[in-house]
Amino acid sequence: MNRRAVGYELVVFVTQWVLMLIGFGVLTRFVAPLNLLNPSLSLGLYFDAAAKALIALVLSVTWLFIWDRQVRLYFHRRGK
Amino acid sequence: MPSLGANTVAILIALGSFPVCLALTRFFMYWNSKHGIIGIDVHKLTRPKVPEMVGAAVPITLILFAAIYALTGGASSISLLAYSLVVGLAALVGAVDDRLKMRGIFKPLLTLLCGLPILILGLAFPGQVYASTLHVPLFGGYHLPLIYPLTILVAVSVTSNTVNMLDPLNGSMAGGISIVAGGLLIGSLIIGASSMPIFLYASLMFSLLGFLFYNRFPARAFAGNVGQLSIGASIGALAILGKTEIASIVAIFPNIQNSFFFLSRIRRFTEHRELTSKPTKLLPDGRLADSEDPRAPLTLVRTLLIGRPATENEIVSTIWTLFLTSTSLAVITLLLTGV
Repeated sequence: MNRRAVGYELVVFVTQWVLMLIGFGVLTRFVAPLNLLNPSLSLGLYFDAAAKALIALVLSVTWLFIWDRQVRLYFHRRGK
Repeated sequence: MPSLGANTVAILIALGSFPVCLALTRFFMYWNSKHGIIGIDVHKLTRPKVPEMVGAAVPITLILFAAIYALTGGASSISLLAYSLVVGLAALVGAVDDRLKMRGIFKPLLTLLCGLPILILGLAFPGQVYASTLHVPLFGGYHLPLIYPLTILVAVSVTSNTVNMLDPLNGSMAGGISIVAGGLLIGSLIIGASSMPIFLYASLMFSLLGFLFYNRFPARAFAGNVGQLSIGASIGALAILGKTEIASIVAIFPNIQNSFFFLSRIRRFTEHRELTSKPTKLLPDGRLADSEDPRAPLTLVRTLLIGRPATENEIVSTIWTLFLTSTSLAVITLLLTGV
């Protein structure tokens, strides 16, 4: 068993956990209160929700991208 | 905060799922063997034949005990019905896949439908099944009246498939998810959650422990897709019904990592059986090693074996340790959320 790999996995989990909390914090504090489109407009509420969902999606993809880079840095080069 | 009595009763009723699941597992081992529903344990030198689809015992137990709990008046029957339907539908998709060997893309698509009972019953009985407010650790929460209902379908599909993908070794899934359920049960008790999620987490944990008795190394029973998908769907449904969404994501970090790196390398939904390049190989001394095949996916098990072969038992213990860590972070997340 590669003990160092287990240690790396734990570092990855803690890092991603912290990043995740920060990401949800950004969504709660900054993105959710935004009024991107006037809700009184026709379908304004739906476009506003869609725009915010898109921001959340971009944040999620960024999070997975960082996770990917971190794991590749630790394991992929060693696996080659 | 609900009285201690309600939670104690919930856990005591859930405790019954351990012997029931144990007995059902034993029954399915016998019945499936007799009817030729058998798989081969490819990570052993002797390649023993092991009864497949025995994990059906878990969803049956979960649904049975949800019904018992509803009859005792422990929680809203509507929520328990939604939970049972989600688990039952995922089990059905898994059973069909076990028997018909569907292409990889069908499982994520069909499991998208498994979240529908929560969505439909939630819309029919507003406020009784789910709340559209996402509670975020440290930062409060926000209301998502449009997005939240849609994410239900995705959540159930993701959890069921990601749990399905991390069961390569004896007891890795059953042990790992029982740690997740146990941790979220403890977290829910600490933050004073209602007795329904406490009951359902306890029921899931005890059922899995019953199944694990026969699934642990050396396995005498395999879960099959029927067990894996329904157990994953149960985690997804519970995250929504129990308001433990973010904590549940954290708890299944090992599953997420495993699935993400599998998909990032293979770039399509496919079955392990269809892979030509395997991530691990069996050595002549019975240990498992990294296959060193650059085309094979970088699975969680493979990362643990880079440069150092290990026995199946050692790898499974390490996976459980990783689940213990992610679940500890999930409990901290629940405490920080404090709902």
